[in-house]
Amino acid sequence: MDESTKRLLQRLMRRIQTQMLRTTLDKWGRLTGEQLRSMDFTLSKWALTEKLLAICEENELAVKHITELEMICESDVIDNPSQGMWYAFQLMDPEGTYYDAHSVELTQFKEQFKSHLRELIRHVSVKIKKHTDEAVWIRIAWGDTFSRPNHMKPTYVVHYLQTPYVFVTSLTSKQKPLLSQALVLSTRYQAIKDANLSGRKLTAIRDLLMRQYHQVFPTRYPAPIAENDQTVSNQHIEREQAEPAANRLQAACEAFGGGVLPQLQSAVYKLETKFRDHSNKTMTEREEPFKCVVKFASTNLLESLRHCASSGIASTPVTPLLSSIPLKGKNYFVITDNGPGPSSQMRQPQN
Amino acid sequence: MDGASTKGVLSHLSLLEVQARSRKSERQQPSRVKELKAKAEALRTQRDQLKAEIETHKSLQKLRASMDKQCAHEEEEDEEMAEDSENSELLRLMARHTQLKDLLHAHDIIGGYSVIKTRQGKGLCVSVTTAYNGVYLENYNLEMDLKPTVRISRDNIPPFIPLKSLAEQSNMQTDIRTLLDPLSQHLNAFAARKQQLKLVKELHKSVKVMESNALCSLLVLMFTVPREKMAVLCSLEYTDHTRCLPTRVHFECEDQGLPDSPEWKKNGSLLMETPVHKALKTMKKMGDIYSFKMPRYVEARRPLCWFDPSRAKPYGLDDGITTLPKTSHSHLRVHQLLTSLSGKFTPGTSVALTLPR
Repeated sequence: MDESTKRLLQRLMRRIQTQMLRTTLDKWGRLTGEQLRSMDFTLSKWALTEKLLAICEENELAVKHITELEMICESDVIDNPSQGMWYAFQLMDPEGTYYDAHSVELTQFKEQFKSHLRELIRHVSVKIKKHTDEAVWIRIAWGDTFSRPNHMKPTYVVHYLQTPYVFVTSLTSKQKPLLSQALVLSTRYQAIKDANLSGRKLTAIRDLLMRQYHQVFPTRYPAPIAENDQTVSNQHIEREQAEPAANRLQAACEAFGGGVLPQLQSAVYKLETKFRDHSNKTMTEREEPFKCVVKFASTNLLESLRHCASSGIASTPVTPLLSSIPLKGKNYFVITDNGPGPSSQMRQPQN
Repeated sequence: MDGASTKGVLSHLSLLEVQARSRKSERQQPSRVKELKAKAEALRTQRDQLKAEIETHKSLQKLRASMDKQCAHEEEEDEEMAEDSENSELLRLMARHTQLKDLLHAHDIIGGYSVIKTRQGKGLCVSVTTAYNGVYLENYNLEMDLKPTVRISRDNIPPFIPLKSLAEQSNMQTDIRTLLDPLSQHLNAFAARKQQLKLVKELHKSVKVMESNALCSLLVLMFTVPREKMAVLCSLEYTDHTRCLPTRVHFECEDQGLPDSPEWKKNGSLLMETPVHKALKTMKKMGDIYSFKMPRYVEARRPLCWFDPSRAKPYGLDDGITTLPKTSHSHLRVHQLLTSLSGKFTPGTSVALTLPR
């Protein structure tokens, strides 16, 4: 095992939590039962790393095996806080009929993606794996014409076949056009665009975009929505306010969803509207739009917005500016005087 | 004398004539009067009937209006119709009858989908239910704006169902069922295929699901054939997304001839015509696939020699294995074979028998 592989394994071990280590190594399957039993999981992380390095040397594992382990960490370990932000992309304009785009098979996709990417850039290491929930995980280590693929900064791409959604993390602006081209060609769509949705948790942005959380619709017989236990301050107020409170809760849940909501961390509104304030003549008289950025940040943004609406801080019906977040599955909006429209700019992904 | 008698007869005759005439006219008058009287009576009764009908209709409308209001505000008790009980009971029934008739008519128009009005009539929320085999599965909802044009504002339909293209192809501005019916077809077929996959995983643990996809339009299963202990890969393609039966069934096996055999051709058409979990049950009964999960340690043993029942003695004993030419043998029972074998081998020889089809 050469130096770079050792460093990769060391870095990986730093990121894995000790309690998840045994299950992760088990899933990896590259250690024999005896070797696994010989690892004492009560030791310090450093000691465990040294032991694991020794075992990998013994088994003569190479870089590709270590990347397997890394992929398992990223994809299988639940709630693994990923290193960076995940960005959502959407494939546009399927070629041919709806059936053609939906009949792209996994093996077909794998072969095509690998061959297209290799055509675009020679030194690249691609690993593709399919999960039980129909997600295809792709790990790409980029190299250039002179150097070998750099495994320390891989890009992860998650695509759900038969949907137009792709989620990417750790992609530089130079690598973006190459990835976009490979994806478009292998999925039989004609273009790919930024979906203006980003977050730290992949599961959250995936659930939001693919509508996999509990949505509330107006029904004839609305089921009572479970509410948090709130201390009853005054019986009379409670009784008077029961109906308006229930209406507010229903409106809030219809706008944002019921139950547990996907965890978004921020929402950004970029305003390019004219300044409007009658008390400030100088600013109002300006011709150019007043550029301003409003950012909402929270550990669980949708939960806090829903609470604002249900407690009455934000008036119901919920303003479309806020309800567009779950409705359109975006958290970056550009608002011009003609009304909120799709963002015309592409987000610059951070490294 | 003649004048007097003539005068007497003539005058008598004329008198009689006058009498007769007056009697005739007298008889006409009462009948005509009677006729007219009868007609007047008839008309009067008709007028009374019509009046009564108008009255009933008016009170029915009032009752119906109060009934409709009653349905909207279920707590209110509207008890203003305090007429004599028999009449009001009948009226109530008649009003309810018209109400139910209107409801049925509305149900026909919206095609059995659950629809409610939202935002004071400016919007609709449609609920499409899916069911398979008598079991209700997921409910999907569509929220729609009615003004200025009919369009979908929110939905919770999964992204691999082509809602957008169905909406574009439909005539939803005039008839919403041109959108809802195809959508319901797609959703119900998807729910059925998903449920079939779930049942295959639950009921048939000996069959391994190699591949499936989100839309459940592709299923690849692996069976083990008991006789040869070989694996058969079965691909089911459901290219028609409005149906829950496959459009193509394909078998792959190490033994190239197996998919063309009559049993497997029958299995192929069985899989095309019955839902997959039921087809697998039948195939297990017929013995074409293993009912139990294959234990890992079973391996096919390599035969040491081949015994040809039509020949007198075994061949290939000295040189190990020779490939048996394909001849059509009838099935021989194992014990018959063994009895015919006894005495021809020295003890300790292991014989493997493969019965040809």
